[in-house]
Amino acid sequence: MTNEENNLEDKVMADIKSGRVKLRSKYVYLAEKLGLGSVFIFTAILAILFFNLLLFYLKSSDNLFYLSFGSRGIFAFLESFPYLLIISLICLVFGAGFIMKKSDVTYKKPFGYLALALVVFIMVAGAVLAFTNIAERIERGMRGPHPGGMFFKPFFGPGPGDGNRGMVGRVVNIEGQIITIQTPRNIQLINLSTLKEDVAEKIGIGAFVMVIGEKIPGMFNAEKIRIVHPDEMPIILENIHEQFGEMKPCERRGCRMIK
Amino acid sequence: MPISQISDEELVVAIREKDRELYSEIIHRYKTKLSHYLRKFIQDSDELEDVLQDVFIKAYRNLYGFNSSKKFSPWIYRIAHNEGLNHIKKYSKFAFSLDDTEYEVIDEKMHLDAKIDSKILKNKIAEELTKMKDKYREPIILYFFEQKSYEEISDIMHIPISTVGTLISRGKKNLKESLQKLYDQRRK
Repeated sequence: MTNEENNLEDKVMADIKSGRVKLRSKYVYLAEKLGLGSVFIFTAILAILFFNLLLFYLKSSDNLFYLSFGSRGIFAFLESFPYLLIISLICLVFGAGFIMKKSDVTYKKPFGYLALALVVFIMVAGAVLAFTNIAERIERGMRGPHPGGMFFKPFFGPGPGDGNRGMVGRVVNIEGQIITIQTPRNIQLINLSTLKEDVAEKIGIGAFVMVIGEKIPGMFNAEKIRIVHPDEMPIILENIHEQFGEMKPCERRGCRMIK
Repeated sequence: MPISQISDEELVVAIREKDRELYSEIIHRYKTKLSHYLRKFIQDSDELEDVLQDVFIKAYRNLYGFNSSKKFSPWIYRIAHNEGLNHIKKYSKFAFSLDDTEYEVIDEKMHLDAKIDSKILKNKIAEELTKMKDKYREPIILYFFEQKSYEEISDIMHIPISTVGTLISRGKKNLKESLQKLYDQRRK
């Protein structure tokens, strides 16, 4: 044994005996473990909820239906896509993966497998949650002062059904080639004269229409229009109902109806 | 029971719960091993002593962070490993050094077909290990020079056991290719 090694032992033990170097409390480690575990569980639960909300949004809003218009519907689809929800979901999955990687128990397994298992778990759990009404309750909460709903509201962006490239709503007035629809957020005038065929006659008051085209000041020039069943888009239906109440025909173009 | 017969893990529990002065036994058991390991990263003996002291102080402070159902050796080696890497990053200098006979371990494991002058071989191995990426060099050092098992290396580096095998195998292959080139050059 060298003198240097003896010195080292003496120095370290002197520090310990004098109290300059102390053991960190076991409660610090307990708190660290609990904290990390709680953050991981919270992140994973939030990711599951976000995935569930994403499925619900795609299934219940107008977003995916725009694709049925072919290539012209892509812009409307992209416009109404819930980007913030997707980005937040990806961040949460990465966050959960990062915490998992930092954990002292997971390093024995290849991280790729664990990350895949995490993603699959989030997707399966999110899909299973689709059989419950959690997403509907959250969506309903967004329209009221419910704190849970308020938390999730920003992730849905401006909301479905009313964009610059596509919109969906309830027809309340028809005057020649101009129809008035109630969207989840507003009253919109749709100009049907820009369509290649005359469809105004086929559209009745109270019908739900989905339209793609281009918004100009005060008007939306339709390129394609389709009558849809409101049950296919429950979010739209409920939002319109919430905003304007029961269906009442409108006597003049662009009238503002209040519940 | 004599203190020398108590396992590291039992000793840690005793230090935590009964007698902190028993930590000198831990230092006694590991100072030579860790010094040997850290010498691979740090050549200056004063710097080495400072780092070693930091390792033991850090280990003591964090004794409650050690899970006594696991082995103690990989845990303290991990602290030394991290401190060694921090030292390299801090001073941005690294030159691998081998003891006089350590190159023989590599020579044997590489199964080189020819004999190269020992001094040249030692220098070449040290040079190649210096140039080698950290991720290959660390498991090679632990496996060949510290005689650690794959499982222990996995615990020290916090990587899967399968990855340890892959890294050692690739590192060995790179090293063997370099040494083979050296041999071919000398034969010409």
